[in-house]
Amino acid sequence: MSFLAPLFAVGLAALAIPILVHLVHKERKETTLFPSLMFLLRTPYQHSRRQRIRDWLLFLTRAMVFLLVVAAFARPVFDRPPDAAAAATGGGREVVILLDRSFSMRIGDRWSRAQAAARQALDALGPADRATLVLFAEQARAIREEGGSRAVLRAAVDTAKPGDAATRYAPALILARRTVAASELPRREVIVVSDFQRSGWDVGEDARLPSGTTITPVDVASPDVQDRAVRAVELRRSMADGRERITVTARVSNVGPAARGIEARLEVAGRTVATNRLDLGADAGGVVTFESLAIPESPQQAAIRIAPDNVPSDDVLHFVLERAPSIPVLVVEGVAPGTDRDVYLERALEIGDRPSFDITIRRSSQLSAGDLSGKRLVIMNNAPWPTGDLGRRLEAFVRSGGGLLVVAGENVSASTWPGRGNGLLPVAPGDVRDRLSDKGAVLGFIDRSHPALSLFGNAQSGDLSAARFYRYRTVQSDSGVLARFDDGSVAVAEQRTGTGRTLLIASSFDGLWNDLPRQPVFLPFVHQLAQYASGYRAGRSVYEVGDAVDLRGTGPAATDSTGARGVAYVAVSPLGSRLRIGGTQGEPALIPIEAGIYEVRPAGSPGARPRLVAVNIPGRELDLARFDPTRLTHSVSAPVESTAGAGAPAEADLTERERKQSIWWYLLLIAATLLVVESVLAYRLSRGRVTAT
Amino acid sequence: MSDAARAIAEAKSQEGVPGRRFLDPKVLARIDDLELVARFVVEGFISGLHRSPHLGFSTDFAEHRQYMPGDDIRHMDWRLYARTDRFFIKEYEADTNANFVVILDVSGSMGYGTSGLTKLEYAKYLAACLAYFSHRQRDRVGFVSVDTDIVDYVPPSAKHLNHVLHALDRAQPRGRGSLAIPLLKVSESQHRRSILLILSDLYEPAEKIRDALGPLRDAGHDLVVMHLLDPAELNFTFDAAGTFEDLESGERIPVVPGRLRTRYTELIRDHVAAVERLLGEGRVDYLMVDTSKPVDEVLFQYLLRRERMQAVR
Repeated sequence: MSFLAPLFAVGLAALAIPILVHLVHKERKETTLFPSLMFLLRTPYQHSRRQRIRDWLLFLTRAMVFLLVVAAFARPVFDRPPDAAAAATGGGREVVILLDRSFSMRIGDRWSRAQAAARQALDALGPADRATLVLFAEQARAIREEGGSRAVLRAAVDTAKPGDAATRYAPALILARRTVAASELPRREVIVVSDFQRSGWDVGEDARLPSGTTITPVDVASPDVQDRAVRAVELRRSMADGRERITVTARVSNVGPAARGIEARLEVAGRTVATNRLDLGADAGGVVTFESLAIPESPQQAAIRIAPDNVPSDDVLHFVLERAPSIPVLVVEGVAPGTDRDVYLERALEIGDRPSFDITIRRSSQLSAGDLSGKRLVIMNNAPWPTGDLGRRLEAFVRSGGGLLVVAGENVSASTWPGRGNGLLPVAPGDVRDRLSDKGAVLGFIDRSHPALSLFGNAQSGDLSAARFYRYRTVQSDSGVLARFDDGSVAVAEQRTGTGRTLLIASSFDGLWNDLPRQPVFLPFVHQLAQYASGYRAGRSVYEVGDAVDLRGTGPAATDSTGARGVAYVAVSPLGSRLRIGGTQGEPALIPIEAGIYEVRPAGSPGARPRLVAVNIPGRELDLARFDPTRLTHSVSAPVESTAGAGAPAEADLTERERKQSIWWYLLLIAATLLVVESVLAYRLSRGRVTAT
Repeated sequence: MSDAARAIAEAKSQEGVPGRRFLDPKVLARIDDLELVARFVVEGFISGLHRSPHLGFSTDFAEHRQYMPGDDIRHMDWRLYARTDRFFIKEYEADTNANFVVILDVSGSMGYGTSGLTKLEYAKYLAACLAYFSHRQRDRVGFVSVDTDIVDYVPPSAKHLNHVLHALDRAQPRGRGSLAIPLLKVSESQHRRSILLILSDLYEPAEKIRDALGPLRDAGHDLVVMHLLDPAELNFTFDAAGTFEDLESGERIPVVPGRLRTRYTELIRDHVAAVERLLGEGRVDYLMVDTSKPVDEVLFQYLLRRERMQAVR
């Protein structure tokens, strides 16, 4: 039923006023102290009927009279049957079928049941209906019917297969929202065919569907799931007899009854190199550790494999076995040989394996153009700017993506770095400031949000402000400042030039101008600055389906100058398909969609040694916990509003129907009759009370 | 025998009851001496552990060992290297010498309680135990009580445990509460990075709480927020309809609990979830504390969790 003048329904509020006034009055007797009304005030208030209503018949008669009068003024209209309504507006339903093809749909008969449910939904469509199929996992893809034919949708349902990606409902629902919002059809329905994995539903994501959309969940999950999976791998490096070795530890989960003697194999380059057995409790996990093994010279694909079960894809976890990454660094020393003032910096760079630094040391007077070849970072340790051709080559080195770290001691000044080193320095180094008289300066400001210094933002990560600076170069700048001394002078500044970057440190690393090298924090400080300046990005041995793999980044490619923007790559997926990445199409980032080993080479170099990228099923997808589909329904349903699509013709139709039906007239007639009845009742009750008194 | 001694004897007798592991807050409520409670609770459950858990973030040196590739280079001893020209790693066994500052919300709403203790009394016990604990591991302890401003302040010091306990003892619920201004002042006064324990019922929108903690978080402090709620606040277990009065503002509204309960519990749970999420995003350690739970159980779970977090960090 609809109303032509629904605003008259406001008149019903008057019925509530005496009751509200009465009940509120009754409830003021007690007071309960409560910490805060913050959440009570946000709760819609409802009264309790504490006063028993007497003379029910009279009350109901009066209420009915009131209701009927209000209803008559609102001018009610009976709706037509749904089919007639659809025919009148010339359309049917806009149906969007969301079909989950995440990894978990491979379990048991989930996928065949999901396909059957999708086919059934397509078969139930009428000629006036329109359908869209959305295949989703981590991402969603819509397939629409072409020219009124649903053959393309049926074919898509028949040929689709569950992939290796995790479940995410929000992208699919947002795609459905766009489809139904753009539809002019009067009825809208979204059918969600899924196993309703809890990990795929984030209540924080706004995936609310337009008002009036019907949501029909179709749950295809089977209650009893048994699955063993290799969930994670940990690689622990060590040195033995001068060779780098690695110990592999894997975590295995078991959903289902306990299992004993599960065989786990460690494979390297497709060959089993170690076997171990483990016992798994019911719905529990276990850890298996293999004997350490020497790391091969070149990166090798490796895997942990357990005995296959109903879901074999998660019984293997791929990873890449490779040596710890290394950054080639050229250290240019500006001090005279034999003074040992450079020992702190050089020794600091010799330590560490994540990454290690491959150091070449040159006196500034012995520097040659060939020294820059193959380097990712040049550290000018209290060294003057190399003039002439060497200076131009250093500038070109930075512009093409190299890093430059300038440590400003007595040999680094505006005169020894003319023109700020061809503009590479963020700011010209000023005069030397001596702070010996006041016990030295400390770092008064440290930008811990900067990637180079974010490590020191953690409470346990060393206190940079503990170092005392007795002498430093006064540097004034407002931009690109990473740290300042307590007098406001810049301590560390940054500038980007081309695709490379320069860092300027306004004091020395020789232990004479400050005690920073003698502080525990010196080592991570130097490493962080060197890694940042060289553009190093920490690599990973394991990725998950859906992760973005930066091909400019880690492992062997970290030192590969071809990792600059504009270079194209070709990736061969585990199933053999070839993908072209980067180049003019954008950033060189691979987003894998299959579990296994991807091989990535620069485009046009089919013979080059590939970079191996190990990709696995997302860990959260292996968490098979489910949620109630009705939660999804409630969460994405919008409150029902009047449909805007009907427009003026629909309003004219409503007026016409109201005029023909004239229900208001009957309502007023009934109200008048009830008024007569009310008068008689009131008279009798009144007379009865008078008699009683 | 004094009341306190009787209460302790009763508490000790409970420890012997099979399945009864933690102390009833009602028993603790009968012990007036905060230091006694703190010592009793802390020593009690530490003796039940295999080794002492630790709370702080600075380090207590144990021994040297030779550097191996893969070691965290931040633990390398540079001074020893200078003397021996060999690389050694410092190893640590416990955390000490940190600043540990309790920030206690003493707004009117903290004076509420239905399970033997008010939230403020419960918070005092928790604060006293953790302060005693920190003092025991040689940290500097301090105290700030706040409502809409700073009410009481004891600067952190290794000798201030008694001052802190006295200040805790003095704290009384009063007036309205809002964290933004007092926490900003605390951030301006604490120059050394510290562990800051904030005990409050957090009756403010989650975003405001996050913003209030912002200056402390940006200053690099290790923030721990304990959100204290009485069971009646969590479950709204009232039956009779009547007028409810706000303990802080004095505002009154008529309420029919039976009809509001579902919506109210949804709102409070959403609030707790929102606070937990926002503080988690800001890397603030958050713990919701039901004041009907034994103090030492909360303490036990919390310290073990901190220890696991230290291991992760």
